Amino acid sequence: MQAQLQSLTALQKAIFFKDARNFQIVFLSCFLIYGIWNLGWDVEINRYTIIFTSCLITQALAIWFLKIPAHSLKSALITSLGLSILFKADSSLALAMGAFFAIASKFIIRINGKHLFNPANFGIVACILVTEQAWISPGQWGSSAVLWFIVGSAGLSVVFKVGRLDTSFAFLGTLFFLDYIRNILYLGWDFDFLIHKYTNGSLLLFTFFMITDPATTPNHKWARYIWSASVAVVSFILQNKLQVHTAPLWALFFVSPFTFLFDKIFVAQKFEWIKISNK
Amino acid sequence: MKTIIKKTMLFVTLLTYSVQTYSFCGFYVAKADIKLFNKTSQVILVRDGNRTVVTMSNDFQGNAKDFALVVPVPVVLKENDIKVVKRAIFDKLDTYSGPRLVEYYDENPCYNYYEYSYNFSSRAIPSSSKDKMTLEKNKDDKSYGVTIEAKYTVGEYDILILSAKESVGLKDWLILNGYKIPETAHEVLDPYIKSNLKFFVVKVNLEKLKGNEFQTLNPIQISYESPKFMLPIRLGMANADGSQDMIVYAFTKTGRVECSNYRTVKIPTDRNIPLGVRPKFGQFYADLFKKVWKYENKNAIFLEYAWNVSPNFGGMKCDPCVGPPPIYSDLKEAGVEWVNPNAMTNPNVFFTRLHVRYSRDKFPQDLLFQVTPNTEHFQGRYILTNPAWGGFECDAGQEYLKNLTVKRKKEVEELAALTGWDVTAYIPYITELNKYIKDKEFKKNDFTPVYGANPYDNNHQPKIIFTIGLSLLLILLMIWFNKLHKVKA
Repeated sequence: MQAQLQSLTALQKAIFFKDARNFQIVFLSCFLIYGIWNLGWDVEINRYTIIFTSCLITQALAIWFLKIPAHSLKSALITSLGLSILFKADSSLALAMGAFFAIASKFIIRINGKHLFNPANFGIVACILVTEQAWISPGQWGSSAVLWFIVGSAGLSVVFKVGRLDTSFAFLGTLFFLDYIRNILYLGWDFDFLIHKYTNGSLLLFTFFMITDPATTPNHKWARYIWSASVAVVSFILQNKLQVHTAPLWALFFVSPFTFLFDKIFVAQKFEWIKISNK
Repeated sequence: MKTIIKKTMLFVTLLTYSVQTYSFCGFYVAKADIKLFNKTSQVILVRDGNRTVVTMSNDFQGNAKDFALVVPVPVVLKENDIKVVKRAIFDKLDTYSGPRLVEYYDENPCYNYYEYSYNFSSRAIPSSSKDKMTLEKNKDDKSYGVTIEAKYTVGEYDILILSAKESVGLKDWLILNGYKIPETAHEVLDPYIKSNLKFFVVKVNLEKLKGNEFQTLNPIQISYESPKFMLPIRLGMANADGSQDMIVYAFTKTGRVECSNYRTVKIPTDRNIPLGVRPKFGQFYADLFKKVWKYENKNAIFLEYAWNVSPNFGGMKCDPCVGPPPIYSDLKEAGVEWVNPNAMTNPNVFFTRLHVRYSRDKFPQDLLFQVTPNTEHFQGRYILTNPAWGGFECDAGQEYLKNLTVKRKKEVEELAALTGWDVTAYIPYITELNKYIKDKEFKKNDFTPVYGANPYDNNHQPKIIFTIGLSLLLILLMIWFNKLHKVKA
């Protein structure tokens, strides 16, 4: 490993710290390890193996056939980790399908050279709809202030790097505002009702690691404000009207197809993970 | 070492280890100044799509005229939606799914195996009192903003479905009609009224009760269509100090039920404990639960049992069984509407038992549930190992005794970690075999148990291997993937 490290050129080392995806990989794996050590999650080696294998093979095939940059395997690794901490299924086939859907969606569902859905988001939702054997457990993280701090700061550092802070805050701010009006001002719950809700680890992960995906959010800053606020509004409606406890995930799924419209109205340059690579 | 299961016995009825108080998803209100002390309630939840059947046990032991119950419900229930079912269903489900103690018998490595037989024993559930009751006439008053949406008499109960415009009016109406409810109740009632929930208000009908020989009030079963799959525990906290226990028995077609706004955690299971625990297994489990509850910061929900109980399911329905698994008639009684004894095949029935101990400070939100397709079986199971009998002169026998001593030390340490008990009294249990062990060096070992704080499995090996493996894999992959950037150096 040492030899490999030394063999990296100075520029490659620079890329290592420039590419926010590396940070995402580190943080997401920390969350998985945290879950296993501190939240009593089962060590489901089989599940992780299936997810990782399915994601990486699908991505590798795409690289081979579509001649896209090989470093995009990093994105597949992020999706694998994201699925490992969120996505559960009762059968190996459903797991493999979810992972396949996630990665394949990037290459199949595209408009104007940009994929429509966040891969993990699409994989989970599609698998739940198709197999009916998959689910996510929004309660698995519990609510604790420490978690808020850890996920929040880890998320922030990634979000800062890719400059998608606006997405996180427009989403969380809008949702909190709506929830505050409904639950505190109107219904009259005590404030700790909201504290409990907003310290939920799943919501934080979504806010800082899923909705901020620069590849699937609108390119223009103002478009992103409106776009993420609309994810929050849809999420609020799903949650309060239809009692969907995993509402943000579904909201993102429903709003994502409109991203290209936002890009049409608000024109801006498309995001690239590593700008150097194309120079 | 060969071990053989010989016997299953002893189960914990939740009634045996908790003081009782009257509040489950709703809150019991008393008409007189009686002290309400039941701290455990039981609920059966059956969920199929948007249809929910809720059965609430009311093992009320005061004077029945003081019994009253208020539960927020999402819709105005029709008379057909309300049933009275037999208490026995709760006892049966509790017995079937309660934490279990299993005994293994070691085989003597020096001799042949002997068979022993034991009697099955189980604990009886204390019966509740037989009470007379009175019912006051409802003083309905629109000026309080309270509307009586429906009025039924079902079984021994008089039932009102109320809707209210505002909480103070509802509180005043309840007080005026002779219910004693906490002064602060309107604060909790408010969010339910504004969420457009109705109130299911129950009192006992004295005349219906007269001449009946039943010993306890029967559980009430309600059914409704609503996307809401939750238990309004906040209301139950209005008149209770400290924490309350609730056992939820859930039935679905697909798989486990889990809580979606609190963590659902498995209770520690498959742990070896000393033989001395047998007579106090109830206390053992109560203390175990308390320890784990504290360890989880008092705001998790515990999974105690999960199993496929479909009538058509060919596999084992428990391992070992402490009570018979629910059959057709039990499932029907519990509100599982999709099973039909005459049908060739039936959809699955998956059973989940959850145990929650909640208090106002740790549970600011009502419990929200979701049905998952998770069909993994689970049970809370604790293991006793009976030593082999006979002489242990042979080498294998000596080795067995040494291993057993080491094993017993672990059992005692497990006991301390699981329950937080002072286990000094168990030291002779560890060392009692020393007199048969010839190896003097072995006897010099320190057999004082080590106290552990973590009630969960202390075998960290899989976690360590996983952590190291994942880290190494990711480091290698990241180095490799970073090299794939086509950069001009």
